[in-house]
Amino acid sequence: MPDLIGIILWPLKWLVELVLVAWHALFTAIGLAPAEGITWVLAIVGLVLVVRSALIPLFVKQIKSQRKMMEIAPELRKVQAKYKGKKDQLSREAMSRETMGLYKKHGTSPVSGCLPLLVQMPVFFALFSVLNGVQTIKTDPDHTGVGLLSNELMTEFYNAKLFGVASLHDTLIGAWEAQAPGWQVTVGILLVLVVLMIVSQFFTQLQIISKNLSPEAKTGQAYQMQKIMLYVLPFAFVFSGVFFPLGVVIYWFTSNVWTMVQQFVVIRNLPTPGSEAAKLREERLARKGKALDATGKIIPMEKYQAEQQRLFEEAERARAATPKRQQPIGKQRAKKQAQKQPGDGGPKSGGSADPAAGAAS
Amino acid sequence: MSAHLPAASTGHGHFDGSAALQTIPLLPRNAVLSLLHGYRATISHAYGDVCKYYPSCSAYAVGAVQQHGALKGSVMAAARIARCHPWAKGGVDDVPLHTNFRYDLTPRGFVVPVPLRKD
Repeated sequence: MPDLIGIILWPLKWLVELVLVAWHALFTAIGLAPAEGITWVLAIVGLVLVVRSALIPLFVKQIKSQRKMMEIAPELRKVQAKYKGKKDQLSREAMSRETMGLYKKHGTSPVSGCLPLLVQMPVFFALFSVLNGVQTIKTDPDHTGVGLLSNELMTEFYNAKLFGVASLHDTLIGAWEAQAPGWQVTVGILLVLVVLMIVSQFFTQLQIISKNLSPEAKTGQAYQMQKIMLYVLPFAFVFSGVFFPLGVVIYWFTSNVWTMVQQFVVIRNLPTPGSEAAKLREERLARKGKALDATGKIIPMEKYQAEQQRLFEEAERARAATPKRQQPIGKQRAKKQAQKQPGDGGPKSGGSADPAAGAAS
Repeated sequence: MSAHLPAASTGHGHFDGSAALQTIPLLPRNAVLSLLHGYRATISHAYGDVCKYYPSCSAYAVGAVQQHGALKGSVMAAARIARCHPWAKGGVDDVPLHTNFRYDLTPRGFVVPVPLRKD
Protein backbone atom coordinates (compact mmCIF):
# COMPACT_ATOMS: atom_id res chain seq x y z
CA MET A 1 0.00 0.00 0.00
CA PRO A 2 2.69 2.61 0.83
CA ASP A 3 4.22 1.80 -2.54
CA LEU A 4 0.99 2.64 -4.35
CA ILE A 5 0.76 5.97 -2.55
CA GLY A 6 4.42 6.60 -3.36
CA ILE A 7 3.77 5.97 -7.08
CA ILE A 8 0.81 8.37 -7.07
CA LEU A 9 2.79 11.04 -5.23
CA TRP A 10 5.99 10.68 -7.24
CA PRO A 11 5.09 12.94 -10.19
CA LEU A 12 3.55 15.50 -7.86
CA LYS A 13 6.64 15.53 -5.64
CA TRP A 14 8.80 15.89 -8.73
CA LEU A 15 6.84 18.98 -9.79
CA VAL A 16 6.97 20.49 -6.30
CA GLU A 17 10.75 20.05 -6.22
CA LEU A 18 11.09 21.56 -9.69
CA VAL A 19 9.16 24.69 -8.67
CA LEU A 20 11.01 25.00 -5.38
CA VAL A 21 14.47 24.62 -6.96
CA ALA A 22 13.57 27.00 -9.81
CA TRP A 23 12.54 29.77 -7.41
CA HIS A 24 15.63 29.15 -5.31
CA ALA A 25 17.82 29.46 -8.41
CA LEU A 26 16.01 32.67 -9.38
CA PHE A 27 16.53 34.29 -5.98
CA THR A 28 20.17 33.16 -5.94
CA ALA A 29 20.63 34.68 -9.41
CA ILE A 30 19.37 38.08 -8.24
CA GLY A 31 21.94 38.09 -5.46
CA LEU A 32 20.51 36.41 -2.39
CA ALA A 33 22.85 34.02 -0.56
CA PRO A 34 21.88 30.44 -1.57
CA ALA A 35 22.24 29.03 1.94
CA GLU A 36 20.34 31.84 3.71
CA GLY A 37 17.03 31.07 5.38
CA ILE A 38 15.29 33.95 3.63
CA THR A 39 16.16 32.55 0.18
CA TRP A 40 14.46 29.26 0.98
CA VAL A 41 11.51 31.02 2.62
CA LEU A 42 11.01 33.06 -0.56
CA ALA A 43 11.25 29.84 -2.61
CA ILE A 44 8.40 28.42 -0.50
CA VAL A 45 6.38 31.62 -1.05
CA GLY A 46 7.05 31.24 -4.79
CA LEU A 47 5.75 27.68 -4.62
CA VAL A 48 2.51 29.00 -3.10
CA LEU A 49 2.17 31.53 -5.91
CA VAL A 50 2.53 28.81 -8.55
CA VAL A 51 0.15 26.36 -6.88
CA ARG A 52 -2.54 28.93 -6.19
CA SER A 53 -2.28 30.55 -9.63
CA ALA A 54 -2.84 27.12 -11.17
CA LEU A 55 -6.09 26.88 -9.22
CA ILE A 56 -7.46 30.24 -10.43
CA PRO A 57 -9.28 28.87 -13.54
CA LEU A 58 -11.20 26.49 -11.31
CA PHE A 59 -12.12 29.34 -9.04
CA VAL A 60 -13.30 31.57 -11.88
CA LYS A 61 -15.39 28.75 -13.32
CA GLN A 62 -17.04 28.36 -9.93
CA ILE A 63 -17.93 32.03 -9.69
CA LYS A 64 -19.36 32.18 -13.20
CA SER A 65 -21.48 29.18 -12.40
CA GLN A 66 -22.77 30.88 -9.26
CA ARG A 67 -23.76 33.92 -11.26
CA LYS A 68 -25.81 31.79 -13.61
CA MET A 69 -27.66 30.39 -10.60
CA MET A 70 -29.50 33.70 -10.34
CA GLU A 71 -31.20 33.11 -13.67
CA ILE A 72 -32.73 29.86 -12.55
CA ALA A 73 -33.66 31.10 -9.07
CA PRO A 74 -37.38 31.54 -9.92
CA GLU A 75 -37.63 27.98 -11.24
CA LEU A 76 -35.71 26.74 -8.22
CA ARG A 77 -38.10 28.48 -5.88
CA LYS A 78 -41.02 26.85 -7.70
CA VAL A 79 -39.53 23.40 -7.01
CA GLN A 80 -38.90 24.31 -3.38
CA ALA A 81 -42.46 25.56 -2.95
CA LYS A 82 -43.82 22.35 -4.46
CA TYR A 83 -42.10 20.25 -1.80
CA LYS A 84 -42.43 22.67 1.08
CA GLY A 85 -43.01 20.90 4.38
CA LYS A 86 -42.68 17.44 2.83
CA LYS A 87 -39.98 15.73 4.83
CA ASP A 88 -40.48 12.06 3.87
CA GLN A 89 -37.77 10.23 1.99
CA LEU A 90 -39.60 9.94 -1.32
CA SER A 91 -40.54 13.62 -1.51
CA ARG A 92 -37.02 14.70 -0.70
CA GLU A 93 -35.64 12.34 -3.29
CA ALA A 94 -38.05 13.66 -5.91
CA MET A 95 -37.10 17.23 -5.01
CA SER A 96 -33.38 16.49 -5.31
CA ARG A 97 -33.97 14.85 -8.68
CA GLU A 98 -35.94 17.82 -9.98
CA THR A 99 -33.34 20.29 -8.67
CA MET A 100 -30.50 18.39 -10.29
CA GLY A 101 -32.45 18.13 -13.53
CA LEU A 102 -32.91 21.90 -13.46
CA TYR A 103 -29.17 22.48 -12.99
CA LYS A 104 -28.40 20.17 -15.89
CA LYS A 105 -30.98 21.77 -18.17
CA HIS A 106 -29.40 25.20 -17.62
CA GLY A 107 -25.82 23.94 -17.62
CA THR A 108 -25.04 25.38 -14.20
CA SER A 109 -24.51 24.11 -10.69
CA PRO A 110 -23.75 25.69 -7.33
CA VAL A 111 -21.02 23.10 -6.70
CA SER A 112 -17.79 22.08 -8.42
CA GLY A 113 -17.94 18.31 -8.00
CA CYS A 114 -16.26 15.67 -5.89
CA LEU A 115 -13.07 15.22 -7.88
CA PRO A 116 -11.37 18.55 -6.97
CA LEU A 117 -11.64 17.65 -3.29
CA LEU A 118 -9.94 14.33 -3.91
CA VAL A 119 -7.24 15.83 -6.13
CA GLN A 120 -6.30 18.47 -3.58
CA MET A 121 -5.38 15.86 -1.02
CA PRO A 122 -2.47 14.20 -2.89
CA VAL A 123 -1.18 17.62 -3.94
CA PHE A 124 -1.02 18.67 -0.35
CA PHE A 125 0.52 15.35 0.69
CA ALA A 126 3.21 15.81 -1.96
CA LEU A 127 3.97 19.30 -0.71
CA PHE A 128 4.09 18.14 2.84
CA SER A 129 6.28 15.15 2.07
CA VAL A 130 8.78 17.29 0.12
CA LEU A 131 9.01 19.98 2.80
CA ASN A 132 8.92 17.45 5.60
CA GLY A 133 11.31 15.11 3.76
CA VAL A 134 14.08 17.66 4.19
CA GLN A 135 14.16 16.62 7.83
CA THR A 136 15.43 13.13 6.91
CA ILE A 137 18.83 14.72 6.23
CA LYS A 138 19.36 14.54 9.98
CA THR A 139 19.19 10.72 10.08
CA ASP A 140 20.26 10.03 6.51
CA PRO A 141 22.89 12.55 5.29
CA ASP A 142 22.85 11.06 1.77
CA HIS A 143 19.10 11.57 1.28
CA THR A 144 18.00 13.12 -2.03
CA GLY A 145 14.65 14.22 -3.40
CA VAL A 146 12.81 12.40 -6.19
CA GLY A 147 13.87 14.95 -8.81
CA LEU A 148 15.80 18.18 -8.90
CA LEU A 149 16.22 18.59 -5.16
CA SER A 150 19.73 17.13 -4.95
CA ASN A 151 21.50 16.10 -1.78
CA GLU A 152 23.53 19.35 -1.73
CA LEU A 153 20.41 21.52 -2.11
CA MET A 154 18.57 19.50 0.48
CA THR A 155 21.42 19.82 2.97
CA GLU A 156 21.50 23.55 2.27
CA PHE A 157 17.73 23.73 2.86
CA TYR A 158 18.12 21.69 6.05
CA ASN A 159 20.84 23.96 7.42
CA ALA A 160 19.21 27.23 6.33
CA LYS A 161 18.26 29.45 9.25
CA LEU A 162 15.79 32.32 9.21
CA PHE A 163 17.27 35.38 10.98
CA GLY A 164 20.35 33.27 11.62
CA VAL A 165 18.64 31.12 14.30
CA ALA A 166 15.30 29.61 13.26
CA SER A 167 15.78 26.43 11.20
CA LEU A 168 13.10 25.70 8.60
CA HIS A 169 12.85 22.13 9.87
CA ASP A 170 12.21 23.13 13.49
CA THR A 171 8.81 22.50 15.02
CA LEU A 172 7.43 24.50 17.89
CA ILE A 173 7.39 21.51 20.20
CA GLY A 174 10.90 20.43 19.09
CA ALA A 175 12.39 23.89 19.64
CA TRP A 176 10.71 24.11 23.03
CA GLU A 177 12.15 20.80 24.14
CA ALA A 178 15.67 21.18 22.69
CA GLN A 179 16.14 24.78 23.93
CA ALA A 180 19.03 25.28 21.52
CA PRO A 181 20.56 28.81 21.44
CA GLY A 182 18.02 31.26 20.04
CA TRP A 183 15.07 28.86 20.48
CA GLN A 184 12.94 31.75 21.72
CA VAL A 185 13.09 33.30 18.24
CA THR A 186 11.89 30.06 16.58
CA VAL A 187 9.05 29.69 19.06
CA GLY A 188 8.19 33.37 18.69
CA ILE A 189 8.04 33.20 14.87
CA LEU A 190 5.91 30.06 14.96
CA LEU A 191 3.52 31.51 17.53
CA VAL A 192 3.10 34.71 15.52
CA LEU A 193 2.47 32.71 12.32
CA VAL A 194 -0.10 30.48 14.03
CA VAL A 195 -1.96 33.45 15.48
CA LEU A 196 -1.95 35.22 12.09
CA MET A 197 -3.19 32.04 10.39
CA ILE A 198 -6.07 31.70 12.85
CA VAL A 199 -6.99 35.35 12.43
CA SER A 200 -6.83 35.27 8.62
CA GLN A 201 -8.82 32.03 8.38
CA PHE A 202 -11.49 33.39 10.71
CA PHE A 203 -11.63 36.72 8.91
CA THR A 204 -11.93 35.07 5.46
CA GLN A 205 -14.78 32.81 6.57
CA LEU A 206 -16.53 35.65 8.36
CA GLN A 207 -16.39 37.77 5.19
CA ILE A 208 -17.97 34.97 3.15
CA ILE A 209 -20.68 34.17 5.67
CA SER A 210 -21.62 37.71 6.58
CA LYS A 211 -21.45 39.28 3.14
CA ASN A 212 -21.27 36.84 0.26
CA LEU A 213 -24.14 34.40 0.81
CA SER A 214 -27.41 34.63 -1.12
CA PRO A 215 -30.63 34.61 0.93
CA GLU A 216 -31.29 31.05 -0.30
CA ALA A 217 -27.94 29.85 1.02
CA LYS A 218 -28.69 31.34 4.42
CA THR A 219 -31.45 28.85 5.07
CA GLY A 220 -30.90 25.20 5.82
CA GLN A 221 -28.56 22.89 7.57
CA ALA A 222 -25.43 23.60 5.54
CA TYR A 223 -25.49 27.21 6.70
CA GLN A 224 -25.69 26.20 10.36
CA MET A 225 -22.73 23.88 9.80
CA GLN A 226 -20.74 26.68 8.18
CA LYS A 227 -21.39 28.92 11.15
CA ILE A 228 -20.08 26.28 13.53
CA MET A 229 -17.04 25.64 11.33
CA LEU A 230 -16.27 29.37 11.47
CA TYR A 231 -15.28 28.96 15.10
CA VAL A 232 -13.91 25.40 15.01
CA LEU A 233 -11.79 25.31 11.85
CA PRO A 234 -9.22 27.98 12.78
CA PHE A 235 -8.12 25.86 15.69
CA ALA A 236 -6.90 23.16 13.34
CA PHE A 237 -3.99 25.55 12.86
CA VAL A 238 -3.03 25.26 16.52
CA PHE A 239 -2.34 21.58 15.88
CA SER A 240 -0.36 22.22 12.68
CA GLY A 241 1.51 25.09 14.31
CA VAL A 242 2.73 22.88 17.13
CA PHE A 243 3.71 19.74 15.21
CA PHE A 244 4.61 20.93 11.69
CA PRO A 245 8.05 22.27 10.78
CA LEU A 246 8.53 25.99 10.15
CA GLY A 247 8.84 25.46 6.37
CA VAL A 248 5.40 23.83 6.17
CA VAL A 249 3.86 26.47 8.44
CA ILE A 250 5.26 29.23 6.20
CA TYR A 251 3.72 27.51 3.16
CA TRP A 252 0.37 27.25 4.89
CA PHE A 253 0.48 30.80 6.15
CA THR A 254 1.25 32.23 2.69
CA SER A 255 -1.51 30.13 1.17
CA ASN A 256 -3.93 31.50 3.76
CA VAL A 257 -2.99 35.06 2.97
CA TRP A 258 -3.59 34.30 -0.72
CA THR A 259 -7.05 32.93 0.07
CA MET A 260 -7.87 36.01 2.10
CA VAL A 261 -6.85 38.44 -0.65
CA GLN A 262 -8.61 36.36 -3.33
CA GLN A 263 -11.82 36.31 -1.31
CA PHE A 264 -11.57 40.04 -0.74
CA VAL A 265 -11.22 40.71 -4.48
CA VAL A 266 -14.07 38.35 -5.32
CA ILE A 267 -16.43 39.74 -2.69
CA ARG A 268 -15.70 43.23 -3.91
CA ASN A 269 -15.86 42.67 -7.66
CA LEU A 270 -17.75 39.44 -8.30
CA PRO A 271 -20.10 39.00 -5.35
CA THR A 272 -22.73 36.25 -5.18
CA PRO A 273 -25.91 37.63 -6.77
CA GLY A 274 -28.48 38.59 -4.17
CA SER A 275 -25.98 38.75 -1.33
CA GLU A 276 -25.12 41.66 0.94
CA ALA A 277 -21.88 42.18 -0.98
CA ALA A 278 -23.79 42.40 -4.27
CA LYS A 279 -25.98 45.18 -2.82
CA LEU A 280 -22.90 47.06 -1.63
CA ARG A 281 -21.35 46.77 -5.08
CA GLU A 282 -24.49 48.11 -6.77
CA GLU A 283 -24.46 51.06 -4.37
CA ARG A 284 -20.79 51.74 -5.18
CA LEU A 285 -21.53 51.59 -8.90
CA ALA A 286 -24.59 53.83 -8.51
CA ARG A 287 -22.45 56.47 -6.81
CA LYS A 288 -20.22 56.44 -9.87
CA GLY A 289 -23.27 56.73 -12.12
CA LYS A 290 -23.11 53.16 -13.34
CA ALA A 291 -25.26 50.07 -13.05
CA LEU A 292 -25.30 46.38 -13.93
CA ASP A 293 -27.37 45.09 -16.83
CA ALA A 294 -29.12 41.72 -16.94
CA THR A 295 -25.96 39.88 -18.02
CA GLY A 296 -23.84 41.39 -15.24
CA LYS A 297 -21.95 43.92 -17.40
CA ILE A 298 -21.23 47.42 -16.11
CA ILE A 299 -23.13 50.06 -18.10
CA PRO A 300 -23.82 53.81 -17.60
CA MET A 301 -26.83 54.72 -15.49
CA GLU A 302 -28.77 56.39 -18.35
CA LYS A 303 -28.50 53.27 -20.43
CA TYR A 304 -29.60 51.17 -17.45
CA GLN A 305 -32.63 53.37 -16.84
CA ALA A 306 -33.54 53.31 -20.51
CA GLU A 307 -33.35 49.54 -20.44
CA GLN A 308 -35.48 49.33 -17.31
CA GLN A 309 -38.02 51.69 -18.88
CA ARG A 310 -38.11 49.54 -22.01
CA LEU A 311 -38.58 46.36 -19.96
CA PHE A 312 -41.35 48.03 -17.94
CA GLU A 313 -43.16 49.16 -21.07
CA GLU A 314 -42.82 45.73 -22.59
CA ALA A 315 -44.35 44.19 -19.49
CA GLU A 316 -47.18 46.73 -19.53
CA ARG A 317 -47.88 46.03 -23.17
CA ALA A 318 -47.86 42.29 -22.54
CA ARG A 319 -50.32 42.82 -19.70
CA ALA A 320 -52.59 44.95 -21.84
CA ALA A 321 -52.48 42.39 -24.62
CA THR A 322 -53.64 39.51 -22.44
CA PRO A 323 -57.46 39.44 -22.20
CA LYS A 324 -58.98 40.43 -18.89
CA ARG A 325 -60.76 37.77 -16.90
CA GLN A 326 -64.54 38.03 -17.21
CA GLN A 327 -66.56 38.02 -14.03
CA PRO A 328 -68.64 34.83 -14.15
CA ILE A 329 -72.36 35.51 -14.34
CA GLY A 330 -75.12 33.23 -13.12
CA LYS A 331 -77.47 31.69 -15.69
CA GLN A 332 -80.48 33.62 -14.42
CA ARG A 333 -78.73 36.94 -14.47
CA ALA A 334 -77.28 36.33 -17.94
CA LYS A 335 -80.79 35.72 -19.16
CA LYS A 336 -82.07 38.88 -17.48
CA GLN A 337 -79.27 40.96 -18.95
CA ALA A 338 -79.89 39.55 -22.39
CA GLN A 339 -83.55 40.56 -22.08
CA LYS A 340 -82.61 44.01 -20.81
CA GLN A 341 -79.98 44.63 -23.48
CA PRO A 342 -82.17 45.81 -26.36
CA GLY A 343 -83.92 48.47 -24.26
CA ASP A 344 -80.91 49.53 -22.21
CA GLY A 345 -78.37 50.21 -24.95
CA GLY A 346 -75.41 52.33 -23.73
CA PRO A 347 -73.25 51.99 -20.59
CA LYS A 348 -75.00 51.82 -17.26
CA SER A 349 -75.09 54.86 -15.08
CA GLY A 350 -73.61 54.66 -11.59
CA GLY A 351 -76.91 55.37 -9.89
CA SER A 352 -78.78 52.39 -11.35
CA ALA A 353 -80.14 49.78 -8.99
CA ASP A 354 -78.68 46.98 -11.10
CA PRO A 355 -76.89 44.53 -8.73
CA ALA A 356 -74.44 43.54 -11.52
CA ALA A 357 -72.84 46.99 -11.38
CA GLY A 358 -72.03 46.51 -7.69
CA ALA A 359 -70.60 43.04 -8.24
CA ALA A 360 -68.33 44.09 -11.09
CA SER A 361 -66.62 46.89 -9.20
CA MET B 1 -29.94 18.15 0.24
CA SER B 2 -28.59 15.20 -1.74
CA ALA B 3 -27.10 13.73 1.41
CA HIS B 4 -29.81 11.11 1.84
CA LEU B 5 -29.91 7.72 0.16
CA PRO B 6 -32.35 7.21 -2.71
CA ALA B 7 -35.25 4.88 -1.99
CA ALA B 8 -33.68 2.20 -4.20
CA SER B 9 -30.84 1.84 -1.66
CA THR B 10 -32.97 1.00 1.35
CA GLY B 11 -35.50 -1.73 2.02
CA HIS B 12 -37.38 -3.60 4.71
CA GLY B 13 -35.15 -6.66 4.93
CA HIS B 14 -33.60 -7.75 8.21
CA PHE B 15 -30.95 -10.22 9.21
CA ASP B 16 -32.32 -13.72 9.75
CA GLY B 17 -30.25 -16.19 11.79
CA SER B 18 -31.42 -19.18 9.70
CA ALA B 19 -29.69 -17.72 6.65
CA ALA B 20 -26.34 -17.16 8.38
CA LEU B 21 -24.48 -19.29 5.83
CA GLN B 22 -25.78 -17.29 2.90
CA THR B 23 -24.47 -14.04 4.46
CA ILE B 24 -20.83 -15.14 4.12
CA PRO B 25 -20.53 -14.22 0.43
CA LEU B 26 -22.12 -10.87 1.32
CA LEU B 27 -19.45 -10.04 3.93
CA PRO B 28 -17.11 -8.07 1.60
CA ARG B 29 -19.81 -5.76 0.30
CA ASN B 30 -21.25 -5.21 3.77
CA ALA B 31 -17.77 -4.39 5.07
CA VAL B 32 -17.35 -1.77 2.32
CA LEU B 33 -20.89 -0.52 3.01
CA SER B 34 -20.12 0.03 6.68
CA LEU B 35 -17.07 2.10 5.69
CA LEU B 36 -19.23 4.12 3.29
CA HIS B 37 -21.95 4.66 5.89
CA GLY B 38 -19.28 5.83 8.35
CA TYR B 39 -17.85 8.23 5.80
CA ARG B 40 -21.29 9.56 4.91
CA ALA B 41 -22.18 10.16 8.57
CA THR B 42 -19.01 12.13 9.33
CA ILE B 43 -16.74 13.51 6.59
CA SER B 44 -19.52 13.96 4.02
CA HIS B 45 -21.36 16.22 6.46
CA ALA B 46 -18.34 18.41 7.10
CA TYR B 47 -17.85 19.06 3.36
CA GLY B 48 -21.49 19.92 2.73
CA ASP B 49 -22.97 19.60 -0.76
CA VAL B 50 -20.27 19.40 -3.41
CA CYS B 51 -21.57 16.75 -5.80
CA LYS B 52 -22.84 17.56 -9.27
CA TYR B 53 -25.17 14.61 -9.46
CA TYR B 54 -28.14 12.97 -7.84
CA PRO B 55 -27.53 10.63 -6.05
CA SER B 56 -24.33 12.14 -4.64
CA CYS B 57 -21.05 10.28 -5.28
CA SER B 58 -21.09 8.60 -1.87
CA ALA B 59 -24.75 7.58 -2.22
CA TYR B 60 -23.93 6.25 -5.69
CA ALA B 61 -21.07 4.24 -4.18
CA VAL B 62 -23.50 2.73 -1.64
CA GLY B 63 -25.91 1.74 -4.41
CA ALA B 64 -23.17 0.36 -6.66
CA VAL B 65 -21.65 -1.79 -3.90
CA GLN B 66 -25.10 -3.05 -2.85
CA GLN B 67 -26.03 -4.04 -6.37
CA HIS B 68 -22.72 -5.22 -7.83
CA GLY B 69 -20.54 -6.20 -4.87
CA ALA B 70 -17.39 -4.80 -3.27
CA LEU B 71 -15.12 -5.05 -6.32
CA LYS B 72 -17.26 -4.04 -9.29
CA GLY B 73 -19.17 -1.57 -7.13
CA SER B 74 -15.95 0.17 -6.04
CA VAL B 75 -14.78 0.44 -9.65
CA MET B 76 -18.14 1.92 -10.65
CA ALA B 77 -17.94 4.41 -7.76
CA ALA B 78 -14.41 5.44 -8.81
CA ALA B 79 -15.64 5.99 -12.38
CA ARG B 80 -18.45 8.14 -11.03
CA ILE B 81 -16.07 10.30 -8.97
CA ALA B 82 -13.95 10.76 -12.09
CA ARG B 83 -17.10 11.99 -13.87
CA CYS B 84 -17.82 14.48 -11.08
CA HIS B 85 -15.43 17.26 -12.15
CA PRO B 86 -16.01 21.03 -12.48
CA TRP B 87 -16.72 20.84 -16.21
CA ALA B 88 -19.23 18.01 -15.95
CA LYS B 89 -22.88 18.73 -16.73
CA GLY B 90 -24.20 16.94 -13.65
CA GLY B 91 -27.83 15.90 -13.32
CA VAL B 92 -29.53 12.68 -12.35
CA ASP B 93 -27.24 9.65 -12.64
CA ASP B 94 -28.60 6.51 -11.01
CA VAL B 95 -26.75 3.25 -10.39
CA PRO B 96 -27.59 0.71 -13.10
CA LEU B 97 -29.41 -2.03 -11.19
CA HIS B 98 -28.20 -5.61 -11.24
CA THR B 99 -30.27 -7.62 -13.72
CA ASN B 100 -31.23 -10.26 -11.16
CA PHE B 101 -30.62 -8.91 -7.69
CA ARG B 102 -31.19 -11.85 -5.35
CA TYR B 103 -30.85 -10.15 -1.95
CA ASP B 104 -32.77 -7.89 0.40
CA LEU B 105 -31.78 -4.43 1.62
CA THR B 106 -32.14 -3.33 5.23
CA PRO B 107 -33.54 0.09 6.23
CA ARG B 108 -29.95 1.15 6.97
CA GLY B 109 -28.73 0.07 3.55
CA PHE B 110 -26.97 -3.22 4.26
CA VAL B 111 -27.42 -6.32 2.10
CA VAL B 112 -28.97 -9.47 3.61
CA PRO B 113 -30.06 -12.75 2.00
CA VAL B 114 -33.73 -13.26 1.26
CA PRO B 115 -35.28 -15.45 4.02
CA LEU B 116 -35.59 -19.07 2.86
CA ARG B 117 -39.12 -19.96 4.01
CA LYS B 118 -41.50 -17.21 3.08
CA ASP B 119 -44.88 -18.89 3.69
